Amino acid sequence: MPLETDGPAESVSYLEAIAAGLASEMEADPDVFLIGEDVGQFGGAFKVTKGFLDRFGPRRVIDSPIAESGFTGLACGAALMGLRPVVEFQFADFISCAFDQIINNCSKQHYRTGNPIPLTLRAPFGARLRAGPTHSQSVEAYFAHIPGLKIVAPATPADAAGLLISAIRDNNPVLYLESKYLYRRIEVPGPLSLDPVPIGSAKVVREGTKVSLLTYSVGVHQGLEAAAELDQEGISVEVVDLRTLVPLDVATITASVNKTSRAVILHEDARRLGYGAEIAATVAEECFWQLDGPVVRIAGKNTPIPTSPALEDAAVPQLPEIISTLRRVATT
Amino acid sequence: MVERDLAIRMFEVMALMRAVEDRMVTMYRQGELLGSLYTGHWHEAIAVGTASALRPTDVLAPLHRDLGAHLWRGLEPWQVMASFMGKATSPTGGRDGTLHYGRLDLNIINPVSHIPNNYPIATGAAFALRYRGTDGVAMAYCGDGASSRGDFHEALNLAAVQSLPCVFIVENNQYAYSTPLTLTTAATDFASKAVAYGMPGTQVDGIDVFAVHEVAAAAVARARAGDGPSLIEAVTMRMHGHAEHDPADYVPAELHETWAKRDPVEECAARLTELGYLDADGVAEVREKARATALEHRGKALGMPMPEPDDEEGRVYAS
Repeated sequence: MPLETDGPAESVSYLEAIAAGLASEMEADPDVFLIGEDVGQFGGAFKVTKGFLDRFGPRRVIDSPIAESGFTGLACGAALMGLRPVVEFQFADFISCAFDQIINNCSKQHYRTGNPIPLTLRAPFGARLRAGPTHSQSVEAYFAHIPGLKIVAPATPADAAGLLISAIRDNNPVLYLESKYLYRRIEVPGPLSLDPVPIGSAKVVREGTKVSLLTYSVGVHQGLEAAAELDQEGISVEVVDLRTLVPLDVATITASVNKTSRAVILHEDARRLGYGAEIAATVAEECFWQLDGPVVRIAGKNTPIPTSPALEDAAVPQLPEIISTLRRVATT
Repeated sequence: MVERDLAIRMFEVMALMRAVEDRMVTMYRQGELLGSLYTGHWHEAIAVGTASALRPTDVLAPLHRDLGAHLWRGLEPWQVMASFMGKATSPTGGRDGTLHYGRLDLNIINPVSHIPNNYPIATGAAFALRYRGTDGVAMAYCGDGASSRGDFHEALNLAAVQSLPCVFIVENNQYAYSTPLTLTTAATDFASKAVAYGMPGTQVDGIDVFAVHEVAAAAVARARAGDGPSLIEAVTMRMHGHAEHDPADYVPAELHETWAKRDPVEECAARLTELGYLDADGVAEVREKARATALEHRGKALGMPMPEPDDEEGRVYAS
C-alpha cells in the first residue's frame, strides 16, 4: 500500500509513518476509532492526525474534553464491546491522569473476566525538547510492571507504522510509546511498507562482536551513531533494538549477549528502577556464565527532566558518554 | 403504573435479592464466604426498578448494592455465592471474586472497587452501541460517596458533550462507608448536579420500585431516542454496614429506625396487594419461593469445585 504523506514523496518521517499506520488500519477496519484531545479539527498537538477528521469523519475521530481518565475509560468500555479504539494522550505525561483506568479496568480485564480489551494507547514520550519536568517524561517503567498491558517503543518509521498496526490488531491493551523527539528528525526513503511488525520481537539493527548495546527508541539512533564511531577504532558494537518492552524478546537479547559476552543498556528514563533494571536482571539470570564483565546501564539521572538546555542535556544520556562507556566495557 | 405481570416479576426479583442476601449474611457468619460481604438491603427497588426499564441488549454497569439488576438479567444466585467463595465456576473462575461479579454475556460489566470508574466504562459501552447503529442504552450506577471522584465528573461531562445514550444512577444511601453525606458534599441534592453537565436530573424515592421504574424508563426512552444522557438520584438508606464486618455504629439510631419503617420489599408487596395483583397468599408464596431458591443455591455453590492454578500467566493476555 502506498504511503500518503504531506512530506516529499521520496522520504517518510517517523511522524508520517505513525499517521500512515493509523490511517491504514482505520481504512481496513471500520471498528477502529480515534479519541483524544485536539485530535480532530486541530489534527493533534503534534499533527499526527492532521486530515483525519476530514478523511474519517466525526463518528470515528473524536475530539474529547480534557478528561484522560474519562476518555480512557470510554475507550476501555468501547473495547469491551468489541470496538478497537486508539487513544491519543497529548503527552505521555498526562497518562498519569488515566492510571486507574489503565491499571484496573483495561489491563486486568482479561485475567479477571476473560474479556479482551483491544485498545491502543498512543503516548508521545521522552525528553530533549526543552519541555521540562511534566512534558518530557518516560513512562514505560510504571506500566511495564502491570500484568495485562503490552508496551512497544518503535525507533524507526517502518517500526512506527508496523508496530502501530500490530497494536491496533492486538486483542490486548497496548501502550504505544512514540518518541516526539524523533517525529521529524528521522526520515527514510519511501514508499514505506505497511506490513505489521510483530509485537514481542526485538531486532539486531547492527551486528557486532565485542559488546551488545540493548536499547530502544531514541537510544537506537544514539547507539548506531556510537557504534559507527567505535568501528573506526576497531571496536565492534552490536546494537539491539528491543522495539517491544512487554513482552520482552529474551531470546534475541540472550543470543546477542552470549555472542559478545558484554552488555550495555541504554535508555533515557531515570536509572533507578528504569526498564534497564529488568533487562539487566534478565541478562544476569540468562547469560551470567557467558559474561566477561558486569552489565552496565547508561540512563537518565534520577531527577525530573529539567527545562533549560544545559540542565536537560546533563540529565539524559549523550553520545560522548555512550561512546566512552561502550569503549570501556568492550576493552576491559 | 406498570402492568400486572411486570409488577409481579419485579417483586419476585426484589424478594429473591433480599432472600439471597439474607442467606449470604448467614453464610458469612458461618464462615462460608471469603473476605467480607457487601449487600444491598434497601437498594432492591433501585436495582430492580432501573434494570427492569432496560432491554436485555442494553448494557448495565452496576455495583455491589445492585444484585437485583444482575438477577433481573439472569445471573444465578449460586454464581454470586460462588464469587464470594472463590469457586472455579464463579463468573471470574476465582481470579477475581467477592463483590466483583458480572457477566458480559448478559451485557453486565463486571466492576472493580474503584467506583465510579465504571461510569466512563459505561460511556464507552454507550458509545459502542451507538457506533454500531443500534438504539441501545448503557446504565451505570454509583453511590453518593463515589460521586466525589473525578470519574463521576469526567463521565457525565463526556456523555453529555457527546450526547451518549447513557443513564447514570446515583444511589444516595446516606453513607460512604462511615462518612455521612454532610462530609461527602455540600450539595446534597445530587439530581441538581445534572444541571452542571447540561442534562436532566431527577430525584426519586429509592424505596418505591414503581417510582424508580418510571423515572428510569423515561431516562432510557430519552437516551434511546438519541436525546442524550440523564442523571437519576435514587434516595435510600444503607441498612447494613458498608460490609458485614462493619457494625455501622456511626449511624444514629433514630436515622436507622426511621428508614427501617420503609422496607422496599414490604412496600412493593403492599402495593401489589392494594392493586389486586397479588393477595396475601400470593405474596407469601413469592417470598417462600425466594427463600427456598436461596437455600438451594447455597447448596449448589458449596458443592462447586475450587480452582487449581493452571497457566495463570497465560491467562493474563488475550490471544
